[in-house]
Amino acid sequence: MKKLILFCFMMISCIGISQSKYEDGMRKAFELWGSEKPWEAANLFERISTAEVDNWLPAYYVAQINVIYSFEEKDATKLKAQMDKALEFLNLAKGISKDNAELLVLDALWHTVWIAYDGQQYGMKYSGKVAQLYQQALQLAPDNPHVVFGKAEWDMGSARFFGQPLDPYCADLQRAIELFSTFKPETEFHPSYGENRAKELAEKTCK
Amino acid sequence: MKDLKAQIKIIVCLSFLASTLSLSVFGQTVISGKVTENNGVSIPGANVYLEGTYDGVSTDDNGNFSFQTSETGTQTLVVSFLSFETYTLVADVGKMQRLTIKLREDVNSLDTVVISAGTFEASDNSKVSVLKPLDVVTTASALGDFVGALQTLPGTTTVSEDGRLFVRGGDAGETQIFIDGIRVFTPYSPTTNNIPTRGRYSPFLFDGITFSTGGYSAEYGQALSSVLLLNTIDEPDQEKTDIAIMTVGGGLGNTQKWKNSSLSINATYINLAPYIAILPDRNDWQKPFEGYAGEAVFRQKIGDGLFKLYAAFDGTNFELTQEDIDYSEGIPFKLNNSNFYTNASYTDNLGDSWKLFGGGSFTHSNTDLGIFDADLNDIENSAHIKLKLRKRFSNRVKLSFGAEQFLTDFEETFREEAIFETYGFQNNISAAFAETDLIFSKKFAMKLGARAEYSALFNDFTVSPRVSVAYKTGQHSQLSLAYGDFFQQPNSDVLKFESKLEAQKTQHYILNYQYSANNRIFRAEAYRKQYDKLIKYNTEMASFDTNFTNEGDGYAQGVDVFWRDNKSIKNVDYWVSYSYLDTERNYLNFPTAAVPSFANTHNVSVVGKYWIEDWKSQIGFSHQYGSGRTYTNPNEPGFLQQKTRDYHSTSFNWAYLISQQQILYFSINNVFAFENVNGYQYASTPDASGNFSRRSLKPAADQFFFVGFFWTISDDGSDNQLDKL
Repeated sequence: MKKLILFCFMMISCIGISQSKYEDGMRKAFELWGSEKPWEAANLFERISTAEVDNWLPAYYVAQINVIYSFEEKDATKLKAQMDKALEFLNLAKGISKDNAELLVLDALWHTVWIAYDGQQYGMKYSGKVAQLYQQALQLAPDNPHVVFGKAEWDMGSARFFGQPLDPYCADLQRAIELFSTFKPETEFHPSYGENRAKELAEKTCK
Repeated sequence: MKDLKAQIKIIVCLSFLASTLSLSVFGQTVISGKVTENNGVSIPGANVYLEGTYDGVSTDDNGNFSFQTSETGTQTLVVSFLSFETYTLVADVGKMQRLTIKLREDVNSLDTVVISAGTFEASDNSKVSVLKPLDVVTTASALGDFVGALQTLPGTTTVSEDGRLFVRGGDAGETQIFIDGIRVFTPYSPTTNNIPTRGRYSPFLFDGITFSTGGYSAEYGQALSSVLLLNTIDEPDQEKTDIAIMTVGGGLGNTQKWKNSSLSINATYINLAPYIAILPDRNDWQKPFEGYAGEAVFRQKIGDGLFKLYAAFDGTNFELTQEDIDYSEGIPFKLNNSNFYTNASYTDNLGDSWKLFGGGSFTHSNTDLGIFDADLNDIENSAHIKLKLRKRFSNRVKLSFGAEQFLTDFEETFREEAIFETYGFQNNISAAFAETDLIFSKKFAMKLGARAEYSALFNDFTVSPRVSVAYKTGQHSQLSLAYGDFFQQPNSDVLKFESKLEAQKTQHYILNYQYSANNRIFRAEAYRKQYDKLIKYNTEMASFDTNFTNEGDGYAQGVDVFWRDNKSIKNVDYWVSYSYLDTERNYLNFPTAAVPSFANTHNVSVVGKYWIEDWKSQIGFSHQYGSGRTYTNPNEPGFLQQKTRDYHSTSFNWAYLISQQQILYFSINNVFAFENVNGYQYASTPDASGNFSRRSLKPAADQFFFVGFFWTISDDGSDNQLDKL
């Protein structure tokens, strides 16, 4: 009996350690990211993802860092390497969490990187795909501000390209800002970006 | 002696103390080492960790790492870094100290050498891509025909009245077309003598085009000169409806998507009657060209696998009186063709890096030709079945092998008054192929393959080796070499009369240099092609009493140069192709070796596109130049001894985006109305003064105008007409 209690206690404490390890790790990673060390953060997220095989978040952040920093990458070889890495981890996350709107938004962003890199080559090929991904995300999570904001930003970009009025999308953007104000991420580690950027964009384009 | 014992005791005690301390107090093992490239250069920022644990670190500026772990026993150490292959070490953690880890460069990376000899790709992610898929529809002279766009690449010859691909001194029949790896037996719509044909298939259904002008993979056979590989889109982006209204007809397309499947259908109708009523051409039409086509692609995901079914049906008919030097009244000619093609394929991952491909196609083609009172009916039924397996041993070693079977049943019926003849042939070819891709490093890669074919008709067995290597000479440049043997059976014009023959043969030797950086690409390729066992015969026209042999031969050699740049001038994308060709052959009924009339020495193509933001327009132009082509002047001694004047044609197009979903398209071919002559027809008998009179063979029209309106309707209104630009 004693042994059993001891065993149970040990189990609990092990889980406790594991949880706090996850939290410590994630916090540390965000800290690194915050202090301009995105690649060290990405490395740490990658390590966490190998330990937390049922959690899509670390893999999501590995992909996100690689996507975000690819927007400014001009070297084709490096860009492709980063994008391959992003795709690998995006697919890993998708395998863990099916029908996840956040992952679809990141997928749309992944395609947007290619369009931004070479609009002539990828604009035509991927613009349909991006639109479809946002559409799909919107169906899954109509009130997720990341989805609404991502779609509004994308629609504005295409409207600008075709010299069409942006007004119809300002309403979407406004709605995203409202959704952001009441948005509570599931945990402190769930995606929570975007509110400020949405406001800035509204400030700039929708008066 | 005592001292020693005491010493040992102390040491044992100390070490025991130390080990218990390290286990119970620290409970940690230190893992340390250095990560470098193969050449010893250190790699900072690499991710080093024990798999499945939280223990790990990024390497410092000198590539060093050191971290503690409480894990014990055998663990997996992982080292990963962008552009390098991930390294794993399975060992006891106690032995993971002062490691020196050399990462191997990832050969999947963009700067790895690519085997490019002979190959042009129109695709998105390929490193050797020279054309983009959209170039097919945005090249001014191409008029939406993928073959037309490929004719702006070097290695092709300007044979403007034909419209098919003539590659490096080969005739059009020496190029084979494959859809999703499966052969297309009748890829072109029939037309009159002076109107170029077009590919039967809509360019919008394909997302990857590979055009090889020589030295291609062992997977492809029955092509002496060239292969064109078209891949249908795996998964369409979204549901949509496409409407096209053109001066020469109309089109309607629709795509539907379901969870694991999708269907695209596309129908077109072309009728030249209204156009010819307004702008008559040189032909005396009784019934101007009319064509209709329907295509469908169905795709279904089955687990990891993908099943694709492609089917196309089209019909063509026209009737005219063809001008002829021997018949002042002209030759009455009518044609009615119907063609059905279907192609099904299945790909699946079998696990353990094995990949399966299986597919087949069936073609039924029925052509009715009427010339004077004679009636000629051709029925061709052909099928192709293929099975291929591919194994990826690693990023660096891949093997593929497979087998295929071609079946052709051809029957011709000739009817003129009391004559009624039916004849034909059955031609079955079995083939097996194997090929291995070896990437030794980012700098050096090789492809080795072989193909064996057995022809039941000839009872003949052939083996063709194929080799290509590529070596990177600089950061942006590389050299490729290719060699291969290629066999192809004579076409139905010969086989319907004679079947005791052998396959015709070519050997290709190719040296390719490529430089590509910053959206600029330069390619230069030198080649030599040796023809052997070409068909020869002894009568003016091939017929029943003709004696056929395999005694023909020939050669082709030359240099192809390509330059594309969409960087130097803002909003301008242009490319220039130049081909030099030196060829002679002695085949068919040639009395001596000569330059055939479809081969000319110099060909130049210049294609430019300019995007005008303020006008929401893309303006494109292209210029084709071809030096003179040979013809025989019976008034002088010799054979194919004279040349026509040079060929010039400048085309212009303008695409205007009315809105995101609507586009207005306008184009003119041969803007400057240059009068081209493709050759001459001489009278078969001399006139009273002993002179053979002649007429020039001119295109049906010097110029062609095209206006079209295209509209895409999609659910979310975002798919747009840029796709059509």
